[in-house]
Amino acid sequence: MPIDRRLLFYINWPLLAVAVILFLLGVLNLYSASGSRLEEGMSIAPFFHKQLLWGLMGMFGMLVFMFFDYRHLKTLAWPLFWVTVALLLGVFVMGKTIYGARRWLDLGFMNFQPSELAKIAVLIVGARILSREREPLDFLRLGYTLGVGLILAAPIIRQPDLGSGLSVIMILGGMILYRGVTPRVFKTALFAIPCLLPLSWFFLHDYQKKRIMTFLDPTTDPLGAGYHIIQSEIAIGSGGFWGKGFLEGTQSQLRFLPERHTDFAVAVFGEEWGFVGTMVLLSLFCLFLYQMVVIARDARGLFGSYLAAGVFFYFFWQILINTGMVLGLMPVVGIPLPFISYGGSATLVNFCLVGLVLNVSMRRFLFKQ
Amino acid sequence: MPNLYDNGDQQPPRSGLILLQALILGLFCLFAIRLWYLQIHRGEEYALKAKENQLRQEPVFSPRGLIRDRNGDLLAVNEPAYALGLVREDCPDVDATLRQVSLWTGRNFDDLKRLYGKTRKRVKPFEPLILVPDLTFGQVAIIDANRFRWPGLEIQVRPRRKYRYGKLLAHVLGYVAEADESDLEQRKELDLGDYVGKQGLELVLEDRMRGVKGLTQFEVDVNGRRLKERVLKHPRAGHEISLSIDLELQQLAMDWLDEEAGAAVVMDAETGQIWALATAPSYDSNDFSSGLTPDQWALLRDDPLHPMQNRVIQSVYPPGSVFKHVVAGAGLHYGAIDPRETVNCLGQIKLGRHVFRCWRKGGHGKVDLERALVESCDVYFYKAGKKLTVDRMSEFAKACGFGEPTGIILPHEKAGNIPTREWKRKRFGEPWQGGDNLNMAIGQGYTLVTPLQVARFFGAILNGGKLLKPLLLKDEKTVVQGDIPLTPEQIARLHEALVQTVEGDHGTCRRIRTKGVTVGGKTGTAQVVRLSDELKGLKDDEIPYRFRDHAWMAATAEKDGRKFAIAVLVEHGLHGGSGAGPVVKAIIDYLFTGKIRQKPEAQKAKARAVRQLSLKHARTNADAH
Repeated sequence: MPIDRRLLFYINWPLLAVAVILFLLGVLNLYSASGSRLEEGMSIAPFFHKQLLWGLMGMFGMLVFMFFDYRHLKTLAWPLFWVTVALLLGVFVMGKTIYGARRWLDLGFMNFQPSELAKIAVLIVGARILSREREPLDFLRLGYTLGVGLILAAPIIRQPDLGSGLSVIMILGGMILYRGVTPRVFKTALFAIPCLLPLSWFFLHDYQKKRIMTFLDPTTDPLGAGYHIIQSEIAIGSGGFWGKGFLEGTQSQLRFLPERHTDFAVAVFGEEWGFVGTMVLLSLFCLFLYQMVVIARDARGLFGSYLAAGVFFYFFWQILINTGMVLGLMPVVGIPLPFISYGGSATLVNFCLVGLVLNVSMRRFLFKQ
Repeated sequence: MPNLYDNGDQQPPRSGLILLQALILGLFCLFAIRLWYLQIHRGEEYALKAKENQLRQEPVFSPRGLIRDRNGDLLAVNEPAYALGLVREDCPDVDATLRQVSLWTGRNFDDLKRLYGKTRKRVKPFEPLILVPDLTFGQVAIIDANRFRWPGLEIQVRPRRKYRYGKLLAHVLGYVAEADESDLEQRKELDLGDYVGKQGLELVLEDRMRGVKGLTQFEVDVNGRRLKERVLKHPRAGHEISLSIDLELQQLAMDWLDEEAGAAVVMDAETGQIWALATAPSYDSNDFSSGLTPDQWALLRDDPLHPMQNRVIQSVYPPGSVFKHVVAGAGLHYGAIDPRETVNCLGQIKLGRHVFRCWRKGGHGKVDLERALVESCDVYFYKAGKKLTVDRMSEFAKACGFGEPTGIILPHEKAGNIPTREWKRKRFGEPWQGGDNLNMAIGQGYTLVTPLQVARFFGAILNGGKLLKPLLLKDEKTVVQGDIPLTPEQIARLHEALVQTVEGDHGTCRRIRTKGVTVGGKTGTAQVVRLSDELKGLKDDEIPYRFRDHAWMAATAEKDGRKFAIAVLVEHGLHGGSGAGPVVKAIIDYLFTGKIRQKPEAQKAKARAVRQLSLKHARTNADAH
């Protein structure tokens, strides 16, 4: 299919720009976060290097996700769904166990987590199902949609990987809310969810319970689990208004801050750039999310709109949970911050999904006349 | 192929779009408020915490001032000691760590725990709390090799006091020990584990010798590794102290007194500087600075001869015949004695129903003042005492510096006692008796003096009447505290009597004659108990040690303008001449010829045997309790 020059014109350039700026800020921050002061000068671990490479690969993936017409995904949705389910079951049979969890498939050249694929599959299949719904969801339709999501989530939670499993459910849940439910369903949910939530306590592992307890009072375990929260708050808080300056953050450079290039990367940013920096970053993320809302609004066809909403929630939950954790508003869970935290496959997937919504945006006027 | 473009004209759900925008707004507000709270509202507080994480401060120890003798020989120095500290903040399991420390050092675990509990309030969590102040080299090696397994433990090198002649100068230098609760209360600049002067010059000159600790600041990473060190305040070393003590003379005097109980003091009669201040038995200052064990303490405490006592300034004795020069002076001053007039000594004198005997049974015959002093005639002074009475003798003795501390800078000096009528009434509820005058006149009875007071008085006779403050520091200025109220002629007369006591054929101090040196002297015998009848007939050797009299000798020595006053007291030494004389002689020889006269081995062995016996006796007594 030849590329129409109009397609380039309709690309949502702000989204693309914000994504690239966020990524570059992330690399810059990673440079600092991977540095540590030694007796003689300082050393820089090679993370930012690798992140740049992954970013380039991600941008290539983004182009790939832009070039085909996204509406072909409608046809591919169910096959993709079943392939993902097959891979997830495959993990049980021949998955690789690392740190006591069976999450990886060994592809020979790399380890592959089918749960990552499941997050993409759920938003495509979700968009396929929800775009067909003419009315707000009643109990039956809600049950059906959630059931499809659970087929993906259940094997992931069993791995065990509660974080990814819940992500799948939450992405789908967000899309359902975007679609809307009948008032009865809404009222029932409003009543039932707070009642059911405490019950889930009994299904948690001990280490998960402990994390929640420590979150409620970090001082109970200042050198153990509470250490992350305390040091993270000190790092961010000590940044003050203007920050300590690039490469000057003592909490990170002297390695008091744990996981500072992955889950707590934004704490490094807050320490070195201060309130000014964090507000700029927060604004960029909001702009990033807002552009997806614009795309969801302007999309031609409901499928594109739901796809954009799915991607919105994919990013929204990560930003909310990761930043909330770093700021001490949520328990510590291993969820990275898009573009800021170090992570190869995450960067790849992030750019691919940005490519997907750009795909939706650039094709919004096709065939409309 | 399904229709790709179905629903193409359907609008996205309005409520959904509003929801998404609301979520963005909520996200922004939530995090903006939280960031404002953390970074602006509590920013300073967190900045402080980050600093606490990052920066540690540690004292830089200042070396304590060195102490030298008058010739520059080092007496007290500082050597490195290795202390084991615990940094609470870095220690994950204090109990297990203390248990391990107990294994390494052999210290009781409960004691360590108690120490930790008691002192943790004083020590910041990121500062080392000193658990063991002095590790042996072996312990340092073991702990250092295993330290990485025990985060929080830290070996600190700090200077520790070392006395090069611990036993020789213990009573002059005193000692330092770890600061206790009350020291820490009193001196805010002290930290736990610091050493502080507890006795002697170390106590008195604490402020001069301690110096000021410095402060260093360094950055640590999360593993406690030190980076970027910076000295905030340089330490200031304590002032060096030079004593007037002559190490070799001190050594000689201590050697002569060794294994006995006694005191010897040598004073420059022109300046007041003390060249030797010896007291025996002694203890080792080093035992205290390295922490006394309970066993060591029990030994010192139960010793019947009280080694901790500084006999030169803290023990008071009846002066015996040494006091006769004071009475003679009083007699001259008040005109109660005419030096040319003679008294006929028949060996005793009667007062009421009491008989007062002269030490020479047959009597001295006709004696004038000089002969009475030279041969120490008691009867002559009984008569002088009767004339003078206590009132004038006391007044004069006080003018000679007796009855009050000399003001030497050592702590806990005793005043001694010069009795008065009023004093006796208060003390015993009895009036002063005529016989008391007579006893006082020969230095027995209620009069008590320290060897240092005696040396100062005889120094005044030598220097023309100036009572000098005894000085221990080389740079101390000479202080004249008073003048003996006698004319130069009267003082010369007293001095002449002293010289004749040494040079004359009948003098009691003939054994301290020294060629080329003008030596004067006076012996004395201080009665410990009034000998009961059963002891009276015994020979000296047969009297039990603790009933034997104390032996005094005071001496003056002068040659080419160098003037020294010497006072020696040997407890239970029986007779001044034989008990204290050899010590005085050895001192004079050293002062004017530089010759070291050793105490004969046989005498040492004898003294040692007596001492061992009394120690054994004391220990069995202590065990019985």
